[in-house]
Amino acid sequence: MSTAEDLPVLGAPVDRVDGPLKVTGQAPYPSDVDLPGQAHAALVQSTIAAGRITDLDTTEAEKAPGVLAVLTHHTVPRLPRGPMTSLGVSPPAPLQDDRIRHHGQHVALVVAESREQATAAARLVRVEYAPADPVLDFDDPRAVSVDDPWGLDSHRGDVDAGLASADVTVDAVYTTPDNTNNPLGLFSTLAAWEGERLTVYDATQWPAMVRETLAEVFGVPEVSVRVLSPFLGGGFGAGLRAWPHVILAVQAARDVGRPVKLVLTRPQMFTSVGHRPKGVQRVRLGATADATLVAIEHHSTSLLAVEDDDYEPFAAGSAVAYACPHVVTADRQVRANVPAPVSMRAPAHAQGNFALESAMDELACALDVDPLELRLRNHADVHPALGLPWSSNALRECYAVGAERFGWSRRPARPRSRRDGHWLVGQGMAGVSYPWYQAPSLARVTVTADGGATVASSGMDIGTGTYTVLTQLCAHLLGLPLEQVRSDLGDSDLPEAPQAGGSGLTSALGSAVADACERLLGALLELVRDDPESPLHGSDPEDVVAAGGGLRRRGDPGRGETYAAILARHGRPQLGADGASTPAQPTELGMALAGAFGAHFAEVRVDEDLGLVRVSRVTTVIDGGRILNEKTARSQVIGGVIGGIGMAVFEDTITDPTTGRIANATFGDYLVPVHADVPDLDVTFVGEPDRASALGVKGVGEVGLVGVAAAIANAVHHATGVRVRSLPITLDALL
Amino acid sequence: MRTFSYVRAPDVETALRTIATEPNAKFLGGGTNLVDLMRENIERPDVVVDISRLPLTGIDELPGGGVRIGALVRNSSLAAHPLVRTRYPVVSQAVLGGASAQLRNMATVGGNLLQRTRCLYFYDEASACNKREPGSGCSALGGFTRNHGVLGVSDHCIAAHPSDLCVALAALDAEVEVESTRGTRRIPLTEFHHLPGSTPHVETALAPDELVTSVELPAPVTTRSRYRKVRDRASYAFALVSVAAALEVRDDTVTAARLALGGVAPKPWRATEAERVLLGAPATEESFRSAAEAELASATSQDGNDFKIELARRTIVATLRDLLTDRSAA
Repeated sequence: MSTAEDLPVLGAPVDRVDGPLKVTGQAPYPSDVDLPGQAHAALVQSTIAAGRITDLDTTEAEKAPGVLAVLTHHTVPRLPRGPMTSLGVSPPAPLQDDRIRHHGQHVALVVAESREQATAAARLVRVEYAPADPVLDFDDPRAVSVDDPWGLDSHRGDVDAGLASADVTVDAVYTTPDNTNNPLGLFSTLAAWEGERLTVYDATQWPAMVRETLAEVFGVPEVSVRVLSPFLGGGFGAGLRAWPHVILAVQAARDVGRPVKLVLTRPQMFTSVGHRPKGVQRVRLGATADATLVAIEHHSTSLLAVEDDDYEPFAAGSAVAYACPHVVTADRQVRANVPAPVSMRAPAHAQGNFALESAMDELACALDVDPLELRLRNHADVHPALGLPWSSNALRECYAVGAERFGWSRRPARPRSRRDGHWLVGQGMAGVSYPWYQAPSLARVTVTADGGATVASSGMDIGTGTYTVLTQLCAHLLGLPLEQVRSDLGDSDLPEAPQAGGSGLTSALGSAVADACERLLGALLELVRDDPESPLHGSDPEDVVAAGGGLRRRGDPGRGETYAAILARHGRPQLGADGASTPAQPTELGMALAGAFGAHFAEVRVDEDLGLVRVSRVTTVIDGGRILNEKTARSQVIGGVIGGIGMAVFEDTITDPTTGRIANATFGDYLVPVHADVPDLDVTFVGEPDRASALGVKGVGEVGLVGVAAAIANAVHHATGVRVRSLPITLDALL
Repeated sequence: MRTFSYVRAPDVETALRTIATEPNAKFLGGGTNLVDLMRENIERPDVVVDISRLPLTGIDELPGGGVRIGALVRNSSLAAHPLVRTRYPVVSQAVLGGASAQLRNMATVGGNLLQRTRCLYFYDEASACNKREPGSGCSALGGFTRNHGVLGVSDHCIAAHPSDLCVALAALDAEVEVESTRGTRRIPLTEFHHLPGSTPHVETALAPDELVTSVELPAPVTTRSRYRKVRDRASYAFALVSVAAALEVRDDTVTAARLALGGVAPKPWRATEAERVLLGAPATEESFRSAAEAELASATSQDGNDFKIELARRTIVATLRDLLTDRSAA
């Protein structure tokens, strides 16, 4: 038994299957959903960063037109904190006491008949505080720090000896600011109770986790909670947690006995759903005169909330980026009165790679060797820590193809050697070794009486093409045209899948879908094999393929029958099968599990007089294993590169140094790239299917962003001779 | 919920009568700033008088070569108008350098004159702001000041004026015509906006009952003019520094110079010191630098906006140099 070979549907750059729904406004994004009788909620947030609430007067708000309830720490019952998830702890439960831990912390929720009434009444809640002096930055002596928060610090060889033996060393400090995820879609929660049954439409990247969290927090069985997130207006990691506002919306719905809808405002998106935390990194590199790395030491410190955790091992990736005998990586977090950080597209690696790949460029300059040559000479042919061969690795090809497409060989070695009028022109590059990540997944595939098939999973499409690639995959494996396959996603009642995050969903969920398809075909084959009425009666499984909308004899497509015919004859409206995937284990495989690899080549133009930086060209080459859909994968990488441009030259979440308020919490003031900032982006895929993944797939959700900041910073140095070690690179640094 | 009444003025006379009798009324033009400020609870009018249909939309040539621009001309219409593009390129460029196409399609000339600062503390109700709540203090001092002013600021307010158009108008000796039930008067653009001093909430010379009806530009001293806007991203961002300049050179000597700065002061900043240095000076980079130094001599900075002083100098020099060398600007 096998599936149809070489159907053009898998890997083909087909249009998004959900595209028409989206462009016609038919796709129900979370804030689009309304329920009969729903009420609306608005948040009141603290205007101090640390201290206590001394008085909270809701009298005026409660009297305001349309107001149904005002939730405060006086009204909300003591709620347990949500469960430990595979990504770490849940956020603290909201409105539990009078303590203020950051500016913008929720202190009340007003529920009213309309959103406008709720918003207006929220202004009438009077809050008095006893403010304390907040801890807002690393250098505050009162700040509590956490060393090696994830047990990922690494030591290999003797880094001091390595540095001592080096002919050339680099020792530099790099800083990256807070960045805010800023999905375009405002996060929204619509919660409805029917008795002990709870239905929640939520802007989440992980419906199964939200279900588990709400069940635990509200003391109801998981089966009575349903979380729906079929479409999301972006997330970039902000949707990976069940945030306090989600808990509050559910509590409010319980309190008022009606569905309650809470849509965050744009400023609230800066304080309520995480951000990429700022950090300081020190990198020391040592190399011999022949450009062989002999030491890598990478220390990071990043900022953390006072009572919450976040996974940001900035330095960890440096342990496996290059072949190097002596390596130390160490990460530290410092707790401050800031909103909780969260994974933001390529968490830790976006920042860590900027430091490492900037330092590599500095080392190349110090050695007087081409930056690309330095990376090739120290390429990790095997996994540097495990010593095992990679399950796949086309990083050398990324470099070679990228250099060719970009024209790297024509780059003059000396900085400040090319100009176009007042514009200094420079070119820089960076390499990326993105880590492998995978989680277990389930999926169900069902053929139905109409002869089509349905894929079902709680996993959701963050907007990047999960609907499309799963539909392609199922169509390919069952021998169906695309239009006869539907994918139902983002519903926690469906078989559990992991988060849309960590670049791991396509491989995990796709493998589960493939497994389900295989089991389903097995079940179908059993039906026909024992059925004297079937043209496939008695067929050897090896002689049957899935093609033409049903099962066919290999080499004799005329002999076979459609799924519709099989189901009809057996009186079944449908036949489904559950599939599962589990992450590969490196020790069993004898291979190191590879994530995606990539190389970025960037060209910038810097106005010599004014310091303005404009990115004029980026060539990106990615090894993502097997690419299921080159169109959506390319779009995903392009989006990543644009995110990288934002990180490099624009994005900077400003915390007021006195109050701890995020000062630029609007799209007018927090700059992301606009069209005019984005040049034509050249994206190419290379590599082979990954050997550790059933599908050969490696995720490409994040790798496109990582390395862009370093490539741009290195290009700025090449253009100007000025090394900027602090992001974003704005004109002030280049005047 | 804060309610307000909305009336649509059928003619100028009714608009003026309404504003004169309603103590807390605001005119609504394109709404691109007023509506935002109302949403943020900063502007709280009881009456909104919609003037968007008044017949103040003409762009007319005046005897003597000037141009009269109706207060309700949309930004996009202004930028595209042949008279403006040929005689006052700096105006067209300034408008196109601002906002987004969608906003420019709505925003009016009169509204642009009255747009309020983008100071991040002005917008935050929990922050102290003398402009929003006179006497409450200024949270920007000691705060994040990258976008704040370095010229004409005071201990009470360091906010920068956000307009691009007004910078060009300030350079060109524009006059603003305003009307009320009491009559009509004209205010030079450079006197239309006030420096903050100790009263940063008093932003313009416009009385509460007055309506901006038009802006007049005198005949240009030269059509060699341009607007240079320096900002972090290529579009849709406020100026860190901008320069509006017009330059006339004969026999390598500056015979006329008009210069104004944006992004650096609480009002569109006419660079009179620089103009004084330029007039009669040789048209060289050294003169331009001297002019820039003279203009910025009185600048004061906070921790976060010190770079603006040098950036302003360099932008002045770069803009004048471009005007000198780029024959196509003539």
